[in-house]
Amino acid sequence: MAAEMALVKPISKFTNLSPKFSNPKGGFGFSYSKFSTIRMSATSQSTTNKPSKKAAKTAIKETLLTPRFYTTDFDEMEQLFNTEINKNLNQNEFEALLQEFKTDYNQTHFVRNKEFKEAADKLQGPLRQIFVEFLERSCTAEFSGFLLYKELGRRLKKTNPVVAEIFSLMSRDEARHAGFLNKGLSDFNFALDLGFLTKARKYTFFKPKFIFYATYLSEKIGYWRYITIYRHLKENPEFQCYPIFKYFENWCQDENRHGDFFSALMKAQPQFLNDWKAKLWARFFCLSVYVTMYLNDCQRTAFYEGIGLNTKEFDMHVIIETNRTTARIFPAVLDVENPEFKRKLDRMVEINQKLLAVGETEDIPLVKNLKRIPLVAALASEILAAYLMPPIESGSVDFAEFEPQLVY
Amino acid sequence: MSGVASLSRGCFAAASKATHFHNHNAKAVALPVSANCNCNSFYSFNSKGLAPPPLPITTKYSSVVKSAVTAVDSDQLSSSDPADKEQAKRYYFVVANAKFMLDEEEHFKEVLFERLRLYGERNKEQDFWLVIEPKFLDNFPNITKRLRRPAVALVSTNGPWITFMKLRLDRVLSESYEAESLEEALASNPTNIEFEKPEKWVAPYPKYEYGWWETFLPPGSKEEAKV
Repeated sequence: MAAEMALVKPISKFTNLSPKFSNPKGGFGFSYSKFSTIRMSATSQSTTNKPSKKAAKTAIKETLLTPRFYTTDFDEMEQLFNTEINKNLNQNEFEALLQEFKTDYNQTHFVRNKEFKEAADKLQGPLRQIFVEFLERSCTAEFSGFLLYKELGRRLKKTNPVVAEIFSLMSRDEARHAGFLNKGLSDFNFALDLGFLTKARKYTFFKPKFIFYATYLSEKIGYWRYITIYRHLKENPEFQCYPIFKYFENWCQDENRHGDFFSALMKAQPQFLNDWKAKLWARFFCLSVYVTMYLNDCQRTAFYEGIGLNTKEFDMHVIIETNRTTARIFPAVLDVENPEFKRKLDRMVEINQKLLAVGETEDIPLVKNLKRIPLVAALASEILAAYLMPPIESGSVDFAEFEPQLVY
Repeated sequence: MSGVASLSRGCFAAASKATHFHNHNAKAVALPVSANCNCNSFYSFNSKGLAPPPLPITTKYSSVVKSAVTAVDSDQLSSSDPADKEQAKRYYFVVANAKFMLDEEEHFKEVLFERLRLYGERNKEQDFWLVIEPKFLDNFPNITKRLRRPAVALVSTNGPWITFMKLRLDRVLSESYEAESLEEALASNPTNIEFEKPEKWVAPYPKYEYGWWETFLPPGSKEEAKV
């Protein structure tokens, strides 16, 4: 998964969408044990509130790993895609997708070269720290996709072999991406102990419907983040400070395809798309993902500035494009191009910074919590106001009632 | 789907909705007749008028897809079968206005180049093209009446891939037709394509360059039976 699904999580934590980077070919089924460099002790209770950038490595160890792992109701998934039960399940798109995934466009793409280590050695000072964090968060997010897809591939094998195989092939992609990122970490003398992570991390549960919304958005926003970084760096090569970005163009095509698959999954379950509840959920998920990304990235402007991007402009571009893409499937999306939307996001950033500042004071926990109350309320009201902004009706033309009148 | 059948040559109207063709693979000649009156878009270049197997087309994309899936292997893998010259081949396409296809959907460009790169790596003969103002559209009145012009079609002999592209692009119409040669299949009317510069371009990178699609335009007429 390109971007971790950060939903309804405390936004001050290190949770969210992390850009991704890649792994050597054939990363599928890589063994965790081969990462033998310094192991970061991935503590599952890493809930430090402040991603202090200037802090020492130890602080990173505690905060970085917050991107979450997801699990779902596998029995319900089996039901949803059981071809025996759902005779009308439209398999055409799935079979087309299966062919696409089997094609394996990036089979030989993720091959490293010596530029990596050299570039890593040149990265010193604060930027080095930021890069490590970036790699780590990205690796964790990709790995979390790997685990989820792998399990879905296993569980759906009997009821819907085509869908199951697609999940397995997507987990192949995620494993490659995670492995490539982990190799990147080794350039900085770190490695994530993924085996340990698998066991020690807490898993967040989402019902299938929510997994669809969340992973769809996560993959598509991941695509837009990666392609934007790639194209920006292609235009401004002087900011190309680590070669992993050069892999992004091909890499993010995987993300985009993964997103297409979730699009097909939702189309196969129109009940998740066609009523008023679906519209509310669609808006909710859009908002959660956009807000989380915005707040997270605004805490890490050094990274984006380090590669020559203006964080807020980058994020708004990604949000607008993701929203346009999402409007091809979700029944409603947010009016993110309305300038008021960005103003609300910016106010959230300000409030969030105040919240983080409270966490950094020397006050006793009780006082901190009291100080937080008005801020949390203010943040909540901004979020609610953004949620209630007039939405944009949207969806696939395959479902649209007005389709016959459409001009293409 | 309109209930009015206006059939063009070669399309038989039969009556059962259930018999959507399953298998109009170039090799499988005996095709179930589609009947669904929506086959007004049928098109064939088959000048020999092979009478018996009328190849049906439905305007509904899902049915195209169904058949397409079974057709992949042969279509996809057959390199240069000499018999191809004689046999009509099926082409699948998605179509929309040029602005959408070539200017707005920048990921579309990435997908095409990615596929071309892959074909190069695997020594696979190209089986997808972009056609600007394709002639075959004349045979799809139900499409043309809903299409802004100039139009651009993505055409491929690989049906499932076109299904995938329909899923990806969404705002496109999808269909298929038969043609005897590549040249016929991809014939187009000369058209000038111009796009206005976007009013506000806020992306931190420039747009893909005008003309990127030229790589994917059909080969010159000389190259016909290459498929």
